[in-house]
Amino acid sequence: MALHSCDTLAQNRQARLGRARTITGGKLLRPEQVTELLEAIIEPGDRVCLEGNNQKQADFLARCLSRVNPENVHDLHLVQSVVALSEHIELFERGIARRLDFSFSGPQGGRMAKLVGSGTIQIGAIHTYLELFSRYFIDLTPRVSLIAAQAADAAGNLYTGPNTEDTPVIAEATAFKNGIVIAQVNKIMDEVPRVDIPADWVDFVVESPKPHYIEPLFTRDPAQISEIQVLMAMMVIKGIYAEYGVQRLNHGIGFDSAAIELLLPTYAESLGLKGKICSYWALNPHPTMIPAIESGFVKSIHSFGSELGMEAYIARRPDIFFTGADGSMRSNRALCQAAGHYACDLFIGSTLQIDLAGNSSTATIDRITGFGGAANMGADARGRRHVSPTWLKAGQEAQGRNSSMPRGRKLVVQLVETFREHMQPAFVEELDAWQLMEKTGMDIPPVMIYGDDVSHIVTEEGIANLLLCRNEEEREQAIRGVAGYTPVGIARSRSAVENLRDRGIIKRPEDLGIDKRLATRDLLAARSIKELVRWSGGMYDPPRRFRNW
Amino acid sequence: MTTTSCRTTGQSYYESNALKRITSLLDPGSFHEIIRPEEKISSPHLRILGQPCSFNDGIIVGAGRLAGKKVLIAGQEGGFMGGAVGEVHGAKLTGLLQRATEEGPDGVLLLLESGGVRLHEANAGLIAVSEIIRSVLAARVAGVPVIGLIGGVYGCFGGMGIVARCCNALIISEEGRMGLSGPEVIETTMGVEEFDASDRALVWRTVGGKHRYLIGEVQRLVDDDVAAFRAAAIELLNDPRPLSLEELQKEHGMLSDRLKSCGSAYDAIDIWHTMGIAEPETLPLLDTAAFHKAVQHVYRGAA
Repeated sequence: MALHSCDTLAQNRQARLGRARTITGGKLLRPEQVTELLEAIIEPGDRVCLEGNNQKQADFLARCLSRVNPENVHDLHLVQSVVALSEHIELFERGIARRLDFSFSGPQGGRMAKLVGSGTIQIGAIHTYLELFSRYFIDLTPRVSLIAAQAADAAGNLYTGPNTEDTPVIAEATAFKNGIVIAQVNKIMDEVPRVDIPADWVDFVVESPKPHYIEPLFTRDPAQISEIQVLMAMMVIKGIYAEYGVQRLNHGIGFDSAAIELLLPTYAESLGLKGKICSYWALNPHPTMIPAIESGFVKSIHSFGSELGMEAYIARRPDIFFTGADGSMRSNRALCQAAGHYACDLFIGSTLQIDLAGNSSTATIDRITGFGGAANMGADARGRRHVSPTWLKAGQEAQGRNSSMPRGRKLVVQLVETFREHMQPAFVEELDAWQLMEKTGMDIPPVMIYGDDVSHIVTEEGIANLLLCRNEEEREQAIRGVAGYTPVGIARSRSAVENLRDRGIIKRPEDLGIDKRLATRDLLAARSIKELVRWSGGMYDPPRRFRNW
Repeated sequence: MTTTSCRTTGQSYYESNALKRITSLLDPGSFHEIIRPEEKISSPHLRILGQPCSFNDGIIVGAGRLAGKKVLIAGQEGGFMGGAVGEVHGAKLTGLLQRATEEGPDGVLLLLESGGVRLHEANAGLIAVSEIIRSVLAARVAGVPVIGLIGGVYGCFGGMGIVARCCNALIISEEGRMGLSGPEVIETTMGVEEFDASDRALVWRTVGGKHRYLIGEVQRLVDDDVAAFRAAAIELLNDPRPLSLEELQKEHGMLSDRLKSCGSAYDAIDIWHTMGIAEPETLPLLDTAAFHKAVQHVYRGAA
């Protein structure tokens, strides 16, 4: 093979950097130079990663990219975790970008569905976070990445602070395949508190006019937790966490799981479960975890990202959180996703719809929202080999007596009220995901968690243990049996459901020895944000919108 | 740190409904309701408008004992139309107060939670409020102390804000709010520059319990705990102040002093600063005990 064909990427990189030299001699850019630099560096058809997930956003660089001349920069292929900003969508509307591989699109889901329908956005695939990160190293390696950090020094060493999140994986995939990495930082410092990304992975740095945006995504005000949610949390603690001795776990976002967190120091402690459940977590620093941490329930938490207002509290709890030599937290989304997948015995989360096979989806007909991380957390890790009592017990229940090869499995729990907002039933005969598939031309319906990965469904009616179901019909009746007064629930076979209850496959609160009258908000360790602040000894500093002081 | 050390222990007044507040405030088992829900005396106006109605029209009235003393008691139900006062609702309260004037119990407890007049009932609601005010004053003249308790989700505003200030004494929690026009009303009529009702911190430091206590409009600031409300109510029943010219003059004196010293203040924090509180911006976060400690050197007591 001719020698010159071995380093075309390196040559191409040098050509790009050569064009950049007409704009800046060094690494540091002024904000007004960025759009010009992007036009010089980015080539039509490039794969570009714009850092941004559900928390931190490279918002200034996104704005600069949306302002380039589409005659020079066009047909880009965006490969990024989250499509969250209006600028992300504008890139497609202006013809700067055409193709998209991504993982999640919360607030822009509606606009995105329209643009996909009209052909303005061509979606490659919707991924889970871990899947997309993996493809950065296989067939979706970015040529140019635009990332966000807290601070940089003059050499270009980056300090990402508590919200490190996706930055290391993006920078590594780009920098080590002769791509170009441009970082926006909140400030330039003489010396950064710690080096999260070494300078030689970074080509350009700009101090953005405003600090990057961070969404306080994991803050749930305890004032909004309902007594139904308290009841469901009691059932989860007694019927699942205590039953299986769950020590290593991940919680999704939501008031349902926040209720569990706030019941640990009260209800779980009263059952003598401290030290026996919920010691090790893959979890963002939920403010609602503060009472459990202060009560000595928690031994360790590794986080995907940080949470606004929790910085000082985390820094004072280095035994619990992962912190750097500078004292502040280091999060890492890719590693925490892997940890949640392989090293946790349980995932619990909410969803919008569950069908009769237990498949669940958050897709609705007019929105493309994607997956994020729940699909990785909420899936049995088929590559797992180490044993824990929880994993083994779940596996034994799933296999029954007649298995020749012992094997464990993960507990994947779906926690839903039978009716969600606006009296929409959570249980359906067919997921809306099928219609979304038809409408947008996907190959398969976007299912968040597949039914065969789900071990338990918990509603205010009780717990359905799907591990113990021996065939499709039993599974269907177990789901109908906790679906309450939804059409799916009403269509249950009374005798089949009673039979499942006798066999302990369906457990009602009274079967678990839970007195529903005791399910009151008085059980919550904190009933307001202010009480969380007090639990933290004043170290939790909640964002303004959550304060009444 | 112990399990509940960071939480108001016991039963939250804020989160309880009217019946729970009444039954846990009074001596156990002593409450007898007058005009019970099974009599279904509900609003004729709401029925005409096709609106849902409540069998108690959003208020529970009755008699019971507080530390052995005979009291009449009313609790507004914020869960029904924000405790708004309609014709039946108002008549139940007025009737209870008139009964107090006739029977002379040891006191009347008003568990106030209301956004004011129920707009659906317009004039009937307005007339009801004026009748309530008159009967509060009549009961006081007859020597029956009327104690108001404020700590519910909807606060105490509009006509019921006026009723509150006609009581002998008021008990409020930090979460409680009291005023004439509510935050949203001020924003709607005066503009968001005048008052941003979405700024929760601003709302609480303006109409919230701590500020109302500091400027002398309520006599007791207590934890959000029904037991704390009960204890304060027992204390205040033992110390009734009659409605007299002297009391009224004292009240007017307080109001004109306030206008002089605080008339140009832009924010509650300015007022607290003027009062001589060292770090006024820290007050909102303090729990009740720490708050009392921080303000005791400047607090002059309620008029």
